[in-house]
Amino acid sequence: MKTFAVIPAHNEERHIAQVIRETRKYCRDVVVVDDGSRDKTPEEAKKAGITVLRHAINLGKGAALRTGSEYSIRHGAEAIVFIDSDGQHSPADIPRLLKELEGADIVFTYRNLRSAHMPLTKKFGNLVLNTLLKLLFGIRIIDTQCGFKAMTSKAYKTLRLISSDYNIESEIAAKTGKYRLRFRQAPIETIYNDRYKGTTPIDGIKIAMMMLWWKFSR
Amino acid sequence: MPLGIQVLGLVFSAFILYLSFLYYKKKEFTLTEWGFWALFAALFATVSIFPGLLDPIVTNLNLGRKLDFFIILGFMFLIAATFYTYRITRHTDKRVEELVRKMAIEREEKKRNK
Repeated sequence: MKTFAVIPAHNEERHIAQVIRETRKYCRDVVVVDDGSRDKTPEEAKKAGITVLRHAINLGKGAALRTGSEYSIRHGAEAIVFIDSDGQHSPADIPRLLKELEGADIVFTYRNLRSAHMPLTKKFGNLVLNTLLKLLFGIRIIDTQCGFKAMTSKAYKTLRLISSDYNIESEIAAKTGKYRLRFRQAPIETIYNDRYKGTTPIDGIKIAMMMLWWKFSR
Repeated sequence: MPLGIQVLGLVFSAFILYLSFLYYKKKEFTLTEWGFWALFAALFATVSIFPGLLDPIVTNLNLGRKLDFFIILGFMFLIAATFYTYRITRHTDKRVEELVRKMAIEREEKKRNK
């Protein structure tokens, strides 16, 4: 299966080179989408000799993932792996995810939600969103907000994603339930380099409202 | 002797008339747009001078005062303006996003094809 790794990046000059280096060990085609960074992220990524797509302005993680995925599919990707650019995921997990993908459309990963390193607000937010997901879409995903996942190109096209921001993670989970896609879940180790990155409680409220929209929109 | 609120209404009408005329001269408004705002200002001025013109409406709507009519009208306008602004912002956001994403892919593909 021809696999592309899509790495959305925004102001990640400190970690991007390392993430690319590690990811290339497990995935030949790597696409970094620089989402309007103001630091040297695109320059650092280009040094690695991989494909770097550049958003002229910051649009958000969702838009970057969609740009990278569409580019990958146009260039023959049969499977796509999403991995964060801040070094919190270990690319060494990619082969395990792809193995799981052989019997599924999407592979979600989950962090140790009981870990003492995980910020309390994130733990609570995950609990609320996961409960809502179960109620509205009838699926139980342990960690909806983890950005490390793999999916087939066919599944990506089925999802018809529209989110531009961090909502994308919840949208993928919700639409997996909505379109009855086959999914698996794999545990991963996570390193929290920045406690303040990711979704905020305000994002959480927005995601909860969007879940209702995804549930009832066509 | 006119009430203070009537004077305020007239000043407001004159200001709207002046502002819309200014935009028309700057070519930011078309003649139709200026006509619309001029008509709005004229109507507002007329009602300010002859508030009795509103009596049939106020009576039919069972409103206690003419001012209540303007307050309700003001709220309706605010809600409509919020809705309109929201729609425009959403539309612009979507178009900017599509453009930026398209540019990112096309730029890279052009580079590859060189």
